[in-house]
Amino acid sequence: MDISYNWLRDLTGVSVEPRPLAERLTMAGLAVDAVHEKGDDHVLEFDLTSNRPDCLSHLGIAREAAALTGAQVKLPDLTAKNVEGRAEQFTAVEIEDPNLCPRYAARVVRGVKIQPSPEWLVRRLQAIGQRPINNVADVTNFVMHELGQPLHAFDLAKLSEFRIVVRRARAGEKIRTLDGVERELDEQMLVIADAARAVAVAGVMGGEETEISDATADVLIESAYFDPQSVRRTSKLLGLQTEASYRFERGVDYEGVRRAQDRCVALICELAGGTATEDAIDVYPKRITPPTVRLRPRRVEELTGLKVSAEESRRILDSLGFEPAAGEVEDGELTFGVPTWRTDVRIEEDLVEEVARVYGYDKIGEALPPSPVTGEYLVGDRRRRAARQVLTAAGSNEAVSISFIEESSGVDETGASRFELLPGLQQVEGEGAWVALSNPIIEGARLMRPSLLPGLLEATRHNFNHGTRDVRLFETGRVFAASAGSDGGGESRPVEVESFALLVTGEALEDGKAAGRPSDFFDLKGALEAAADAMRVGALEFETASVRHLREGQAARVRVGGREVGNAGRLSEELAARYKFRQPVYVAEVSLSELLAVGERPARYTPLPRYPGVSRDVSLVADRRVAFGEMRRTILSLGIEECRGVALVDVYEGANMPEGKRSLTLRVEYRADDRTLRDEEVDAMHARVVAALEGEFGAQLRG
Amino acid sequence: MSSEAVDYDAQVAAVREAFEREFERFARFQGGAGTEGLSLGEAETLLRELGELRTRHTAKKSALAQLMKLIGRVPAEERAAFGQRVQALNNEVATKLDEAQAALDNRIGQLKVERERVDVTLPGRRPRRGHLHPITLLRQRIEDIFVSMGYAVEDGPEVETDFYNFTALNIPELHPARSPQDTFYTTDGLSLRSQTSTVQIHAMQKRRPPLRVVAPGRVFRRDTPDATHNPMFFQVEGLLVDRGINMGHLKGTLSEFVRRLFGPDTRTRFRPSYFPFTEPSMEADYSCFKCGGAGCRLCKGSGWIELGGSGMVHPNVLKAVNIDPEEFSGFAFGLGIDRMCGLMYELDDIRLLFENDLRFLEQF
Repeated sequence: MDISYNWLRDLTGVSVEPRPLAERLTMAGLAVDAVHEKGDDHVLEFDLTSNRPDCLSHLGIAREAAALTGAQVKLPDLTAKNVEGRAEQFTAVEIEDPNLCPRYAARVVRGVKIQPSPEWLVRRLQAIGQRPINNVADVTNFVMHELGQPLHAFDLAKLSEFRIVVRRARAGEKIRTLDGVERELDEQMLVIADAARAVAVAGVMGGEETEISDATADVLIESAYFDPQSVRRTSKLLGLQTEASYRFERGVDYEGVRRAQDRCVALICELAGGTATEDAIDVYPKRITPPTVRLRPRRVEELTGLKVSAEESRRILDSLGFEPAAGEVEDGELTFGVPTWRTDVRIEEDLVEEVARVYGYDKIGEALPPSPVTGEYLVGDRRRRAARQVLTAAGSNEAVSISFIEESSGVDETGASRFELLPGLQQVEGEGAWVALSNPIIEGARLMRPSLLPGLLEATRHNFNHGTRDVRLFETGRVFAASAGSDGGGESRPVEVESFALLVTGEALEDGKAAGRPSDFFDLKGALEAAADAMRVGALEFETASVRHLREGQAARVRVGGREVGNAGRLSEELAARYKFRQPVYVAEVSLSELLAVGERPARYTPLPRYPGVSRDVSLVADRRVAFGEMRRTILSLGIEECRGVALVDVYEGANMPEGKRSLTLRVEYRADDRTLRDEEVDAMHARVVAALEGEFGAQLRG
Repeated sequence: MSSEAVDYDAQVAAVREAFEREFERFARFQGGAGTEGLSLGEAETLLRELGELRTRHTAKKSALAQLMKLIGRVPAEERAAFGQRVQALNNEVATKLDEAQAALDNRIGQLKVERERVDVTLPGRRPRRGHLHPITLLRQRIEDIFVSMGYAVEDGPEVETDFYNFTALNIPELHPARSPQDTFYTTDGLSLRSQTSTVQIHAMQKRRPPLRVVAPGRVFRRDTPDATHNPMFFQVEGLLVDRGINMGHLKGTLSEFVRRLFGPDTRTRFRPSYFPFTEPSMEADYSCFKCGGAGCRLCKGSGWIELGGSGMVHPNVLKAVNIDPEEFSGFAFGLGIDRMCGLMYELDDIRLLFENDLRFLEQF
C-alpha cells in the first residue's frame, strides 16, 4: 500500500523526514519496504500485516506516526458548504439482513456537475498510484485512501423508486459490475438493490447501470459496514478483489462510517457544486460496542522484560486511542476501551504488545533463558547421520524430492500400486489405499508418495536427460498410505513411515574409483549393507523373492533378525520402459522406522586369536539356483567349532560350464583357540564340509 | 752408487704419477665441481669406474699398499722421511678419491630427486565422494546449535488434522490460511501441515513445561513453483516454555543462534509483527552475512536479512494444551531452511533444491 508523505503531514503536522519516519514506523511493526521520491512528495510503500486493517489509510498511518512522534492527528473539515433538506425526502434505506450489513448510511447531494478533478486532487491520487476519473468518483476514492472507509456513489436518478434495499441476492440473480462483466450471484451474497434489482455487490463493486456519468445530477453516497467474512466469501467466489473488498474483509471502523461520508459529501459540494442533504439516513440497528481489555502493568515486564511504568503504559495506550475505562485500579489493574478501528486488540497480551512496540522492541535487553533442561537429538538421529555419512563416502548423493507424485507414476491403470509398499504401509488396492490431495497445485501431482522410488526414478530420468549416466542417489523421508482404521471416517490420520531408498545405475565404483564395469545388484546390496552396518542394525538378510517393481530373478526381500524391512533389486522391465531407461537401474527401499526399531548392535570385544588359522579353498560346480547363502549356512551349521567363516572367492559362469551351472570358489577358515591346528585335523574338517556341499546341493568338486 | 742403493723418492713419485695419470679424468670433480651436465647414466658409470680406480690404487695389493709395507723395511735413517711421504701420498689419494666420489654421489642424488620430482598441483587421487543435500547440511547445523543450547529435536506428522494445523494454533475458523487456496487438503479432509508450528502442540502434549524443542521438517503451501517458491519447503520450529520467560530471552536466543551460524559479528534486529499463534509477535532480521550490513544485492541494499517470525506463545495456544498462561510463558519461532539455503548458496532458482540434478548436488 502506498502512502503519500505530504498527505500524512497534512493530517499530523509531523516534522520527521520521510526516511527516518519510515524507519520509525517499520520498527513499530508497520513495515515500510521502500521510500520513493515522487515530484515534491515521497511515497512510502507499506507491507502491512493482516491484523492492521486500520492502517490501510492515511489516517491510520497518521495515528501511528503521531503516537510515535508525539504529534497530534488533525481530522479534515467535515462540513458541507450548501446544505438543504433531509435525506429521507429523497431516498430510503432498508436493511433486510443486519447480520451481513450491521450499518448502512446514505446521504444525497443534488445538482452536481461531473467534471475532471482539480489539480491538487489529481496529484494526491497519482502520488499513490490511483487513476483519476471524474470529480465525484475521485472524491470517493480519495476519502477511502484518506480515512479508510470505502464509499460508493450511485446516480440517484437511476435507482428504481430512488431507494436502497440491502438484501441477499436471489438465486441466479445477475449484475453487470463496473468492470463490464456480467456476474451471477448466489443466495449467500449480499447486494445493494433498489426497488427492482441489484445495483451493487455489497462491499465489492458497484453496478454499471447506476454508475456516475457525465449526465449525473444527483448522487447518493453510500457508507456502510459489511460483515468481513461475507465480503471475503463473495469476493473470492466472484474472483473479484477490489480496494473496497480488501478493506471490508479485514474490517473497517464501524464508527467511522459517518465521518467518511461527511468528508466525502463536503468535498463533492466543494468540487462538483450541488446541495447536500443536512443529514444522512443511518440504519444501524444494533450498535456495536467496542470491547474493554484489562492490563496489569506488571504483565508488560513479565512478557517483554521491559520495565515500563504504569503511567508510561497508560500514556502510550492513550496516544493510540485506547481510553481508560472508569472504575479501574484494583491491584493497579487498568481497563481500556479498545478504539473502534482496532479489530486486532482483544486480550491483555495485545495491549502488552502495543506498549512494547511503541516503547521500542530495541530497548528489550537480550538474555539467554536459564537452562533447566538438556538437549537431545531425535531418537536414532546419530544412526541416521552415520548411514548418510557412509553412503556419501561411498559415492552416493543425497536426494530430496517433493512429497507428492503423479498418480500415474505410483498407480497403474487398474488402480494397483506399481511398487511394493514397505511393511507398515497398508497393502490394499484401489483409490482408498492412497493419501490423495483434493487440491494439487502441480498438474497431476495428486498422490502423497507411498514410496520414495518414484521420486528417485524421476530424478534419474532428469539426470539421464542432462547427460549424467552414472547415478547413485539415496533419500530418506516419509511415505504415506491410508491407515487401516480410516473407514470409520473421523480424524484418523494416514500412516506415515520413514523410508530410506537407494538407487544405483551406470558405471560402478570400487573403493571410490571407477571400476570400469557397469553397476549390478551387488553394488546396490553392498551400499545397503554398508548403511545398515553404519546404523549398527546387525546383518541384513537377503532372500530371493518376487517383488512387484523388481525384475524376476534379481529381486530380494530384505530382513533384519527375521523381521522384514524392505526390498532390493533390479527395476522391472516394465517400469524401466515407462521411464525409457536403457541401462539397468537397481533400487532398494527399506523402512527406516523398522530399522531404527531394531536395537543397536553393541560392539563386543572378542580376544584376538593366539594361534594361526588355516584357510582352505574349495571350488564346486553346482546348479545356478543354489544360493551361496545357503551353502554358507550349511557349512556353518555343521557344528565344526573350529570353522570360523566362509567367504566367497569367485563365481564363474562363463564358457566351459554346462547349461544352468556355475562354479563357486569358497574359502573356509579353520582356527582353534588353544592350539595350532595340524594339517590332518584341517583335512578332516574340510572333507566334512566338501561332503556336505556335495550331498546337500549335488555340487561337484572341480579339479 | 751400489745396486743396493734404492731411490725411495723415485718410488713414491712413480706411484703418485701412476695414480695421477688414471685419476686425471676425475680431477675435475674435486671440490664438488664439474659434475654439471652429467646425465644420471654417465654419473653412475663414472662412479663405478671411480670405485674400480680406488680398488686398483688403494687395495691390499696396490702399489700404494706396497709402499706402506715398505716403510718398515727402509733403513732407519731414511724411514721417517719416507714414511711421511708415503703417508702424505696415501692421504692425498684418499682425499682426491673421496672428493670426486662425493661430487658424483651428490650429482646422482640430485638427479634422482629430479627424476622423482612430482607435480604437486596435479589432482590428488581421492575416492569419489557423494554429497549430502544442502538442506540436510544446514538442517544438521541448526539442530547441532539448538541441541547444544539445551533443545530437544522433535518431529510430528506431515498430514495433520484441523486441530493441530489451525485450531490449536489460534487460527480462526474462517482465516484465509485455512482456505484450499493456500493449504493442501487430502480427499479425507486432512491437511498437509502448513507450518512446523504443529509440532508445538504435539510437543507440549508430550512434554510438560519446562520444555525446549526444535522441530525441523517439511511443510506444504499451495504456491505455484517458480524461481522463489516451492509448494513444499523446510522450516525449523523452536519452542521454549518455562516460568518467567520473556521477549528478552527470545531475542537473546535468536541472536545467539545467528552468531553461531553466521559468525560472532552478526547483529540482529527485531520488529513487531503479527502471527496468530504468538502475542506479542516479532520479526527477526540479522545483518547480511555477505556485506556485513553495508548493503548489497543479496540483502537488497538494506543490510538486513529476514530470519523468520517469532513471539511469545499466544495464551490460547497454551490453553489448547492445558498449560496455564498465568503460570508459564514461552516463546516460539519459525525459520525457513530453504530460504536460508537459497541465500547462503546464492541459488538463482530454488526449484533446483528438489530436482536432484547431480551437477547441482555435487557442489555441496
